[in-house]
Formats: sequence, structure tokens, C-alpha cells
Amino acid sequence: MKRKIMFSTLALTSLLGLVGCGSSEPDASGDGNVTLEVFNIKTETAEQMDDLVATFEETHDDIEINMTTVGGGTDATAALQSKFSSGDEPDIFMLGGLADAQTWEHKLVDLGETELAKNAIEGTLEGATLNDTVLGVPMNIEGYGWLVNTEIFENAGIEVDSIQSFADFENAVKTIDSKKSELGLDGVFAFSGGETWVSSQFSSNFLAPEFNNSLNEAYEGKELELTYADQMQQYTDLAIDYNAGPLESMDYSTSVEELFASEKVAIVHQGNWIVPTLNSLDESFAKDKLSIIPMFVEDETKGKIVAGPAWYWGVNKDKDQEVIDASIEFLNWMYTDEEAMASIINDFEFIPAYTNFSSEDITDPLSNEIYTYLSDGNTVPWVHNSYPDGYGQNTFGVNLQAYAADQISWDEFTSTLKTTWNNERK
Amino acid sequence: MLTNRSKSFWLLLAPALLALIVVLFIPLMTGSYYSLTDWNGNTVGHFVNFDNYIRAFQDQMFIDSLIFTAKFSIVSVILINVIALMLATLVTQKLGKWTTLFRTVFFMPNLIGGIILGFIWQFIFNKAFESIADLTNIEFFKGWLDTPETGFWGLVILFVWQMSGYMMLIYISFLNNIPEEILEAADMDGASPLQTFIKIKLPMLMPAFTVTLFLTLSNAFKIYDQNLALTQGGPYNSTQMTAMNIYNEAFSMRNMGFAQSKAIIFLVIIVIISIIQISITRKKEISA
Repeated sequence: MKRKIMFSTLALTSLLGLVGCGSSEPDASGDGNVTLEVFNIKTETAEQMDDLVATFEETHDDIEINMTTVGGGTDATAALQSKFSSGDEPDIFMLGGLADAQTWEHKLVDLGETELAKNAIEGTLEGATLNDTVLGVPMNIEGYGWLVNTEIFENAGIEVDSIQSFADFENAVKTIDSKKSELGLDGVFAFSGGETWVSSQFSSNFLAPEFNNSLNEAYEGKELELTYADQMQQYTDLAIDYNAGPLESMDYSTSVEELFASEKVAIVHQGNWIVPTLNSLDESFAKDKLSIIPMFVEDETKGKIVAGPAWYWGVNKDKDQEVIDASIEFLNWMYTDEEAMASIINDFEFIPAYTNFSSEDITDPLSNEIYTYLSDGNTVPWVHNSYPDGYGQNTFGVNLQAYAADQISWDEFTSTLKTTWNNERK
Repeated sequence: MLTNRSKSFWLLLAPALLALIVVLFIPLMTGSYYSLTDWNGNTVGHFVNFDNYIRAFQDQMFIDSLIFTAKFSIVSVILINVIALMLATLVTQKLGKWTTLFRTVFFMPNLIGGIILGFIWQFIFNKAFESIADLTNIEFFKGWLDTPETGFWGLVILFVWQMSGYMMLIYISFLNNIPEEILEAADMDGASPLQTFIKIKLPMLMPAFTVTLFLTLSNAFKIYDQNLALTQGGPYNSTQMTAMNIYNEAFSMRNMGFAQSKAIIFLVIIVIISIIQISITRKKEISA
């Protein structure tokens, strides 16, 4: 008897659980009030985003915003996917480049006529434009490359600005390595190859020129030639040889928070998103001794860094017109209202992707440097966002680990890269 | 007793049956269907018959992950059950109030989620072991999780630590159920504790093995979160388990249909192994 009671209780609770999973669709109610569901992927800006939303709601009585923030990387894509599959579609969500734009093309509003699209810095819309339709507007600019501790370089007797070719860079690395013990270093590099996303980003430097530095060409690229494989090998070998630990297993926190921030290494392969982390550990670091060294790939003497929008905002088209209008209004407001613009620069510490911001506003030195590279045309775009799905991390990143651990030769590495690419794009 | 045809039988069964249909049978059906297509998560383009399955068997990474998972399962199933049985025999000795304390302590790791356990052990292997290595200069503590071997043993240690306490509880309950008079009789006949253990306790524990082997085996095969938190499959995917391979195929490469076919293959393998294991251990069960 007891067992039966227990069983029916269990059965009842499970039934109740099912009832609880009903759908909710309270989007546009009749009284002109609109609730926007925004799906945010940038976890590091969750707090700033909430503050910004509060400011927006103060001035816009009829619009309410519901912000959902989900962690970065692949999990966010999975979360967005399940959000759509479950029918609980967000009104505004984020796209990571052309592949995402293609996936969600059937859901996206054409934003080409918006003020934002007109204000966007030239070229920054390419990562979310398909068939001449602008499906997303950039969230910000992010740039990456060899971030260096200029103080260590100076102590080793090297001017960062004097590095004007790969040979200069190699010499600098060797010089620092020879003075390792005096400078108190564990190594020259802290390349976190354990994080495949870092390697994937690294690869952009060498794959971009092959596709004429175009996201679109890389996205359409049927064949990978690896025209700049030699340059890639030079840089890769240098990083492997002078890394502070095994490159194939070093993780992000060891690389950035432990070694770079505590000045145990001189160089990491990272981007301006580590500035807030560095600030939280040592306030003067980013201000006084952080700089970026470009890579010399296409041109032996003209170095470039990788910079461009990493994320784009997209607006869901299967919603009521008033919801779509409100969504666009919110996005517009975020990058044109003065209070919001100040917050974008100072609180979010974003490098803006729009021309209505002026470069003097950017106070963070590294961000300013990246912005200058961008306006001078010395950047290549984030082409790893245009690779076949998962290619950068699962193919490039993983095989780079195998190469660093001497499991495969360089030739095996490059031929795997080519065949996988060509198979995926068949 | 209720007969199969009585109304209340079906009424009582309905909620559970409904839940099973909704969360198990329907997804299994749609999943099998998707595994025959080039589904990308949003749209089904073509029906590709069994191409996905053929591709899966040609996918070296998938095969490697299956082999790795099998190796991991064998080693950890043996270790978990040996350790759990040892712990269970230990805490069923007459230790007074200490037994409760020991049982709680041994069981505790099981209450922590796999992701957190993974990060705890990552810290131990990366930071604590490294510090020990710095202090003592013992080679053994260096570079854990940096190589496929240490990655493998790291995962085994984590999983054994997590599961042993749980299996211990099951063994304890079966050990306590062994009739006192049989043990007494053995004692009177002059059997040593070891003899009692091998000749009486072990055979009487056979029903327990059915349960524990099933639980450890199926859990070891399906492990994902520990894998993700501890090694992320690295270095160079050498510690990538099947569940992670399938997840990456689906959500990172976005080959949902292909990933689904791998998942079905994986399901079939687990089902076959479980059936074999249960039928073997069932046969060995005896009653007192």
C-alpha cells in the first residue's frame, strides 16, 4: 500500500511538472506597452547592460526590456538554438558573424535603412550582410594580437615601436629570453593553446590575407591554400619554443590572470577584452604598460592586427511591427543617446563601431591603439568567424595542440587543415 | 492486487507513462528521423538515408572517443566497485558512532555536481600538484592533465572519488541484509573473516553487483560534465569522451543530423552492454 501511495505521489508531481512547462507569449499587449526579450551573450557586460536598460526604461515608459544573459562561446549558441527550438524566441539576439547570419537569415529584419547601419564604420557591416541585406549591426569593435608588457620590453632594452618586421620580433623574443632570469620571467610567451578559441583567433592573422581580408570571401572560400603557411609556422614555432609552459594545455586563467598580470611573461595572444580583468588585478597595468604588436604576414614590413566587430545585434522579424520598431529604437538609442554613448565607452569599455563616436573619447590606451589601427586600415577582419562551423576551434585549435605536443608534423598539420576545410566546403 | 485491465491501473500509470512518452519516446522517434537527414538545427534539407551512420564509422575522432570511453569505463568500473566494497566492509564493522561519520564523509562527493567536481580537481591537479612538485621536486606531480595519460587518470580519479561513496551505500544495505545466523554458523564452524567474506558475503552480494555494475557502467559511458570541466577533451582531443564528441558535433560544428546518428549508435552500444551485463550478473544471483 505504502508503495502505491508513493508511486501515485510521484506520478502526480511529474504531471504537475509538465503542466508547469506551458508556453508564455506576453509580447505585445494592447495598451501600447511592449516588452522586449533581449538575448545577450556577452556575460562580462551583464551588469553594465542591466544599468543601461534601467536608464532606457526611465525615458521610455512604453517599452520594457527583459535581458537574458548566457555565457560565452559555444554554449551561448546552443542556448540560442534551444530558445528558438522551444518557441520562446527573443526579439533581439546576437550573431557571431556570417555563419550565424546565414543560420538565422529567415528570422532577421533588414537593418540596412536604420541610422545605425548608416553610422557604422566602413567595412564593419560585412560580417552580417548577406545578399546585400544588412542582417545585423555591430555591437562593438574588438581587436587582438600579441599583447605585450612594454615595461618588460624596455627593461630588456627593446623599444616596442622599433619592431617593424618578423625578424625584429624574433630578435626581441630571443633577447628577452636571454635575460629571463634577470627580468624574473617564466617565459616570453603565455600562449593559452589549451583554449582552442585563442588558437582559432590566432589563425585569422594568417588566413585573412589569403581571402583578400574579406569576411565574405572567406565565407564563400571553397578551397584553402594556406598561402601564408610559412609565416604561420614562424610565429607558431616561436610561440611554442618560448612559451612559459606547454602551449597545448595552458589555460586562459594561467595565461592572463596568473602569468601576464603578475608580469611573469612578456607576451600573450589576447585582445582588448582582457583590459577589465587586468584593471581589476592591477589598476596601472593597462594604462601604463599594455600595448599591441602587429603581425607581419602579407607584407614583411607592414604589420597588421586583427580587429572588427565580434558580435552583431539582430532583430527578429517574426514579431509584431510595434515590437520590431521598439527593438530598433532600443538599438538606436544605445549607440546614439549621449548618456548611453558615454556608458558604452566608459562602463562597457567598448571600442565603438560607429562614426558618431570620436576617437578622443576612448580613454583606454589599448582600445585607442586598436581604434587607430582600424582607422589607418592596418587591420584584418575576424575571418575565423567565417570558417566552416567549428573549424577554428575543433580543427585548427585541436591540431595546433597536437603539433605543439609533437604528435604531428607541420606538414601533417597543414594538410589536415586543408583537407578538412575543403571537405566542409564541398 | 490490481489486474492489468483494471481502470485504476492505467489511471495510476498514465502520468508516468505520459512523462516517459513526452521526454523519452517522442524525442527518440524524432531523433531517429533526424539522424537520417542533414538537419542543421533549423531546417531539414535532404533525406540522406544511412549516410550519416556510414560517416560516423569513418570518423576517426568518433571512433577514438568510443575507445577512450570504453577504456575509461572498464578501469573506473573496476576501481569504483573494489573501493566501494572495501569502504562498505570497513564501515559495517562495529566502530560505534564513527560508522555514521565515515559513511557521510565517503558519500559526500556524490552530492557535488559534476561540473564543480571537475573544477575542484582541475585546481588540485594544476595548482596543488604543481605546488607539491615545486616543493618536493617529485616528477610524479608535474604536468598533470598536460598529457593524454595524466588526463585519463585524472578523469578516472575524479570519477572514482565521486561514485565510490554512492556504490558504498548500496553495498552497505546488502551487507546488512545478510542473515545474522549464516554468519554465526560460519563463525561456529571456524571460518576466518576472509573466508566468510569470500564464501558467504560475496555470493550473497550478487544482487548488489547487478545494481552497482549497471549504475557505474552506464554512468561511466555517459560522462560529460566532468570531462568538460576537467580537460575539455584536451590535449588535442585525446581525452574526448563520446558524449562530448557528439555535443561538439551538434553545437559547435552544427551538424545536428550527423551528431544525432552518432548519438543513436552510442545509445545502441550502451543498451547492448547493459543487457549483457544484467543478464550475466542476474544468472549469478543466489538467494539465501
